[in-house]
Amino acid sequence: MKISGKWIFTLLLTIFSVSLVFYFNPGGPLRILGNLLTFAGIYALAAIGLNVHFGMTGLLNFGHASFMGVGAYVTLLLVPHAAGREGEISENGLPFLSALLIGIVAAALFGLLLGLPAIRLRGDYLAIVTIAAAEIFRLLVRDLESITGGVYGIINFSSALQKYRPLFFDEFITELELAPAQIWVGLLSWVSIFFTLILIKRLNQSPWGRALRAVREDEDAVRALGKNAVWLKLQSFMLGAGIAGLAGVFLAFNYGSVQTTLFVPLLTFYVWAIMILGGVGSLTGPIFGSIIFWAIISETDKLAALIFENADGQQLAGVRFALVGLLIMILMIFRPSGLLGKKEELLLNVK
Amino acid sequence: MIEQLGNGLLLGIIISVASVALSLLYSVTRIVNFAHGEIIALGAIVTLFFSSPVDSRIIYLDRFSPLGMDFILSAIIAVLICGAFGGLLEILLFRPLRKAEVGNIAVLVVTIGLSIFLRHLYLIFATGRVQNFPLELERRQTYWFIDMTPRNFKVLIVGLIVMIIVGILLTFTRIGKAMRAVRDSNELASISGVNSDNIILFTWISSSMLAGLAGIFQATINDVRYNMGFLILLLIFAGTVLGGIGTSFGAMVGGLLIGIFVQVSVALPFMEGHTEAKNGVALAIMILILLFRPQGIFGQKERIS
Amino acid sequence: MSNSFIRIDNLKKTFGGLKAVDVEHLTFDQNILTSIIGPNGAGKTTLFDLISGFQEEDTGEIFYKNKNITRSQPYKISRLGIVRTFQLTKVFDRMTVLENLMFSGSSIKNDSLLNSIFKTSNNKKYEKSLKDKSFQIMEDLNIHQMADSYARELSGGQKKLLELGRSLIKNPEVLMLDEPLAGVNPKLAEDLLETIQNLSKSGITILMVEHNIDAVMKISDRVVVLAEGSVIADGQPQDVRLNPKVIEAYLGTNND
Repeated sequence: MKISGKWIFTLLLTIFSVSLVFYFNPGGPLRILGNLLTFAGIYALAAIGLNVHFGMTGLLNFGHASFMGVGAYVTLLLVPHAAGREGEISENGLPFLSALLIGIVAAALFGLLLGLPAIRLRGDYLAIVTIAAAEIFRLLVRDLESITGGVYGIINFSSALQKYRPLFFDEFITELELAPAQIWVGLLSWVSIFFTLILIKRLNQSPWGRALRAVREDEDAVRALGKNAVWLKLQSFMLGAGIAGLAGVFLAFNYGSVQTTLFVPLLTFYVWAIMILGGVGSLTGPIFGSIIFWAIISETDKLAALIFENADGQQLAGVRFALVGLLIMILMIFRPSGLLGKKEELLLNVK
Repeated sequence: MIEQLGNGLLLGIIISVASVALSLLYSVTRIVNFAHGEIIALGAIVTLFFSSPVDSRIIYLDRFSPLGMDFILSAIIAVLICGAFGGLLEILLFRPLRKAEVGNIAVLVVTIGLSIFLRHLYLIFATGRVQNFPLELERRQTYWFIDMTPRNFKVLIVGLIVMIIVGILLTFTRIGKAMRAVRDSNELASISGVNSDNIILFTWISSSMLAGLAGIFQATINDVRYNMGFLILLLIFAGTVLGGIGTSFGAMVGGLLIGIFVQVSVALPFMEGHTEAKNGVALAIMILILLFRPQGIFGQKERIS
Repeated sequence: MSNSFIRIDNLKKTFGGLKAVDVEHLTFDQNILTSIIGPNGAGKTTLFDLISGFQEEDTGEIFYKNKNITRSQPYKISRLGIVRTFQLTKVFDRMTVLENLMFSGSSIKNDSLLNSIFKTSNNKKYEKSLKDKSFQIMEDLNIHQMADSYARELSGGQKKLLELGRSLIKNPEVLMLDEPLAGVNPKLAEDLLETIQNLSKSGITILMVEHNIDAVMKISDRVVVLAEGSVIADGQPQDVRLNPKVIEAYLGTNND
């Protein structure tokens, strides 16, 4: 891996944004940093999944949040938890790992379900269908209260994961004055990222990855050469969905509770912004994109409060989202390859 | 169910107008404009600003006072402003992108970014509160088989008239034909003396004006919210897909049908207690159409994959 | 008749009222190089699309080695042995020339997800032999010096060669070439033509859509002429050339 200009720039930018965090938070920067890195890890994982869809295969998926949601809800419902308005308790459940595996598979299957109608269609149609499906998912989760807890959501599931924390970990983290529960989730996210990237790198350089890139280039040619483009796209869709499901689980355990307001389009847009920022198709792009994104975004709230006095909380959040939208636009227009994307792999004209 | 039919027609006419606007833009520019919803919202918000009583607290930080103008006048000005906004978007953003031959996918993502940006600008400046036009409450009256307020009935009639006018303009006028020429082939059009840049600009302006109008309709029937465009965007997509992407006539019919289906579905047995999921019905229809008849009712069976 | 290599019966395709293809009966024999010519808009590419499954016919049936392939999907038809190229070259721009070929030559099994996750020594051997085969084809077509270049960097003629190479690495029984000489400089066109002729001699059945009449006359065993979707002449090159209906079709019709 040669140290080229874009790597240097990326590393500098990462250091810069993290220092911003320290600068704006003189009291207790480590805690903010811990929080930041946990979020960054979870979102980076989600972005890696999206990169499989868009970077590797050229699929426009704007319902990514729903994959995360399926992974989360299925996993949570399988471990001991409490749900709904009354906080109905389900004491029995599967061990975390089994529930997680089923959750990931469920997310992948949801990807298959979504893919079946959509993947034969052209890019912009897929975008619309994925948004629609994500909305249907949200509505179903909200209305099937007896199963999903509806707007009241699911709580009291954290112990399923937290009980695996080793004692030395607790001691070490508490000494740093951080929250062991959250750092545990963060650590697991980053470990997942490590293994997922190994898998993706292997696939990138494999015949399957090569086939996916061909599909991204020209589906008709792929078909004329005897390959089933639809099935290849579906596989990619499922893989990215499964990774998103994993990220969704970590997101849920980070918050300690889930409700319908969690897996919404804004989540999808965050992940898109991170993926584009990091560099579409780049292996480690999502990591840097996520760290920089979260570092800067979390500080803009303070900036916003300075500029817009008297604005209420919702409006301050609006500043954050407006910036996300602006970021997506500016990146797509002026620097579509993001920080670490390959210029040669820039999006050309869609056929 | 009959009562829902009235609501359905209202919603339908709004989606219809908005769908035609979207479809027109897509036909001529091949852009799926995800920021369409924000232009719709702009119409409503601008009307709100112009027509609300002076010194009423509707705008951010009370720094700008509404203008307290006559409602109809405000609406007309708002529509014109939307048109101008659309024109500006074309000149400042989409034309440079087109000249630089930026790919369709990139442009689509740009419109999504634009939509997020605009929507939250609205949130900052028009607040997240649900607001209403300064119009008096009315009582429902019966028009044939429909029950609705006189104002809503006017919206329905105006909407229908607008649709008819748009249909006539597209089919019979020189501009309409020129738009269709640009759609079919940019190069051929310019050879035959049609300036495709101007036609595209014109399309952006008219599409945005229609969108703004749809937003005003929507706000008249319901209310003004910063994300009202986003909320209705999926229904508009559903209407366009149902009617057939690329045909304005299809968009009109599709939009109307979606509106009716959505409202009428509320009366269906399995929807009891879940009336807010009625939008989901429209989305489900859309997905089914894409599964089995992607060209919609009136669309050409072009290569959709 | 029922033993024809490729058989087309009652094939019709219309676009919004315009008749694109209307072929009552057409067969192709094995090992023959058939050129399909005709004025623009005569339906040649549509015919190719219909045979290779890229468009759906309104009515009619197509048989390949007595197997009905009428409503088959393109990738399945390709796997049966019919490989086609496209009028506008469809090389994979952001992949290297070598990757273009290796993708094409790779078997379905080799491409599978599981195979790619769990690489075995067999896989490595397969990829190695695939690479060798790709280089062999590149050398035959004289594009081996561009092996590691991105396909988009190739000249128009080289792209045509790459597309041909991609088709050849699949060992096709039938090669459907859609305007293989379009936009290629005369010297390269000559080489390309010779290559195609050699392919025909080596046993591949070739269907070729071409506008370059000299080339067509030079190497075709048979010429089929389409005009307004129907066959108006069919036979040996020199006979077809003198056919009055053919002359009229080329001179009389509005070509655009």
